[in-house]
Amino acid sequence: MSEPKIKTPLPETISGNISGLIDGSQVSANVGDILLNVAREHGFRIPTLCYHPGLTSDGNCRLCLVEVNDRLVSSCLYPLRTPGFEVKTNSPRLKRSRELVITLMLSRAPKSKVVLSLAEEFNLKPDPRLARTKEDQCLRCGLCVRACQAGGAEAISLVGRGSERKVCGPFFEPPIDCVGCLACAKVCPTSVIDFIEQRDYRAIWERHFPLVSCPICSRPFATQEELARPNADQICPSCRRRAMAQALYDVDYLRR
Amino acid sequence: MRFSTPQDFNQYISSLPPSAARRLWVCGGPGCLAQGAEKLLLALRNEASKTNKDVSCQLLAVPTGCLGLCERGPMVACQPEGYVYEKVKIEDAQEIVVETLISGRPVSRLCQDPKDPTASNHPFYLPQKRLIMRRFGRINPDSFEDYLRTSGYEALLSALSIGPLEVFSRVENSGLRGRGGGGFPAGRKWRACKDAIGAPKYVLANGDEGDPGAFMNRSLMEGDPFSIIEGMTLGAYAVGASMGYIYVRHEYPLSVERLKLAIKTAENFGLLGDDILGTGFNFNLSVIEGGGAFVCGESTALMASIEGREGQPRVKYVRSVERGLWEKPTLLQNVESWANIPLIVQHGSEWFKQIGAPNNPGTKIFSLVGQVKRSGLAEMPLGSIIRTLVEDVGGGPQKGRTLKAVQTGGPSGGCLPTSALDLPLDFDSLPEAGTIMGSGGLIVMDNLSCMVDVARYFTLFLKNESCGKCLPCREGLEVAFNILDDLCCGRGQTGHSDLLVNLAQGIQDSALCGLGQSAANPVLSTIRYFREEYLEHEEGFCRAGRCQGLFLVKIDRDKCNGCGACQPVCPAGAITGREREPRTVKVEKCLGCGACLTACRFRAASTERKVAGV
Repeated sequence: MSEPKIKTPLPETISGNISGLIDGSQVSANVGDILLNVAREHGFRIPTLCYHPGLTSDGNCRLCLVEVNDRLVSSCLYPLRTPGFEVKTNSPRLKRSRELVITLMLSRAPKSKVVLSLAEEFNLKPDPRLARTKEDQCLRCGLCVRACQAGGAEAISLVGRGSERKVCGPFFEPPIDCVGCLACAKVCPTSVIDFIEQRDYRAIWERHFPLVSCPICSRPFATQEELARPNADQICPSCRRRAMAQALYDVDYLRR
Repeated sequence: MRFSTPQDFNQYISSLPPSAARRLWVCGGPGCLAQGAEKLLLALRNEASKTNKDVSCQLLAVPTGCLGLCERGPMVACQPEGYVYEKVKIEDAQEIVVETLISGRPVSRLCQDPKDPTASNHPFYLPQKRLIMRRFGRINPDSFEDYLRTSGYEALLSALSIGPLEVFSRVENSGLRGRGGGGFPAGRKWRACKDAIGAPKYVLANGDEGDPGAFMNRSLMEGDPFSIIEGMTLGAYAVGASMGYIYVRHEYPLSVERLKLAIKTAENFGLLGDDILGTGFNFNLSVIEGGGAFVCGESTALMASIEGREGQPRVKYVRSVERGLWEKPTLLQNVESWANIPLIVQHGSEWFKQIGAPNNPGTKIFSLVGQVKRSGLAEMPLGSIIRTLVEDVGGGPQKGRTLKAVQTGGPSGGCLPTSALDLPLDFDSLPEAGTIMGSGGLIVMDNLSCMVDVARYFTLFLKNESCGKCLPCREGLEVAFNILDDLCCGRGQTGHSDLLVNLAQGIQDSALCGLGQSAANPVLSTIRYFREEYLEHEEGFCRAGRCQGLFLVKIDRDKCNGCGACQPVCPAGAITGREREPRTVKVEKCLGCGACLTACRFRAASTERKVAGV
């Protein structure tokens, strides 16, 4: 099925500024602002795992739950639309659900630094009764998939249902569309995506990429596939920085 | 033939020739089809054609919608006399044709009660009120003329004369609540969709019935497809939608076939498509086949699936009536809700409110399955007592067994103990008791059902059907299943039930979609009402004799009459005893499989705890 995607504006009854309470203190926000951002701007601590400010939110890790008008909602997706909202970021109900989520994360990824630090923050120990014979450190948060999508490659995706769900390329084979940008590995909260990076060679998802040298400094820096993307930078990041600095200096010099 | 004005159509309806003088209806419900209804229909037609040719064109044998009593299928009904025959075999075809079809006399030996061949006092049908299923056994689902003869499309005709606002207000005033499970007031949904900004608007029908043991929607789509189409046309007319989809799982090929045929017929007659009956109202409808994922019954996952994306729910902070399918205002209702709409529009909201209970008007189709004498489809007014359904309609438990629990609402519903049998079946009372109405599945369990095993079964189902998007449902259900499996296999430990409660409450609070939040219901409700069984499993005892190896069998010498039914079923040969004398069990040989418990019809075999050292 395909349908032209024209975004309909949300039929807001009011616009502009609204205010409400977060944990008893008065905050103000614009209509449509995402609750997590508003709360963080005002200094409230809401733990997250599958959230990344540069990517679309998915709300699947359930760590960022907060209580709005006696309902648990994922704050990374909740738009503030009505004035007089009342948000709690720390209630007994929230504590229980957060503890469950972290305990389940511990049983799936007991070696992950992020999960261990979350467990320490909320004073939780792994429950031996929930331990599983097969742990694989991947929390299926899909950040890698969303990063890959944002980069335009769409090489990997989450496949399968329920506990069978996992990240892989089409047909469980090395993803042919992978450009070797390593965005997935860099964004992974549990650092479970393996890659090899040598001087002129890179490997990820069982794909092997020779690295292309920078035309200025002749240091290998990117894969051919990366450079073939539209609007890709053809020089390495450090040469780019130098060039930008030079340009700024030139402008500055000319102005003087 | 395409009608260009309502008057043309009206004239066509009144000029329809009357149907055949006498018709034999062969039940075409899933239960009877599985029991050979199709061959029976061919045999009946064959017999009918052998008789006088002039007669056979007036007397017909036709398939129809589900007659309800699936346990005793294949069923045959005869109109206009109203005889109902049960467990009809192909060999009976000749007698039925000669006696009933030609002469109009009943074949008493095939009736449940030979004195009452019309089943007017049949305990299965007596407490029922068949509104949605009113055409089952009266029309051929594929026949447009049959539908029109049973006042089909009258609602649409009157709607076109009263206008969309009046249609909407009738539905809103009727107080109809969504039949898909949540019981959300349809009027509120319709109003929100009507007032929503955006075009085009969509109306969707949810026919993605995935509960194990439930087949109400399937029977409805197979038995009366036109009523769903008419309901959706009325809905689209009221909220101003121009496009609709019926989402049906592809495991229901007959539903898909009949719906597609019905849509095509309606299009040919100018009742779907552009400029319906010359009124300028456009409504196009098509069928979408789902891949069979349980989660696609959830509204947002269903829409994602129609759009061609992975069938996964999203959070609903912006409701789908504002932004649904392709980000457009979308009105989604269960197929059974849609089938209610023509009735409401035709008879008015006051009439509808008189049926059922206050705040829960109308009827609901239940699929009654499990350990009852008569399982099948029953349509009851909302607010009926569970006991009526289980004991009157279903005929109570099998001989020698006692009722233990009733599971309502499908896999993510809950189990109610016998003490809750006097609860009314409606959208408000069941949630108070810790279960849900769901789409109307009702599974009856007797004393041989182990509640821990039941929770394990449903958790396994939900674990396998979880889409895996959010962590609590994906990981939590797997962990919960492992614990339940431990309990059922004798690896239980003290404290497991408390751990399960914690886990289940956490999942209920933190899961992303409605399915995930209710996935803990089987565990929570069984622990709430049957905690002692959980505690016994922690110690390694299963009182129901279901979990292998967790019990010993004892035969009560006073109750055993020596019928010997248990002896041949024992795989280990552990049961000994002479003819007509009470049997005994050799403990050292017994495997603990429970086969003898199922075989005993005199409550002589029972379970007891294993003693240490045996």
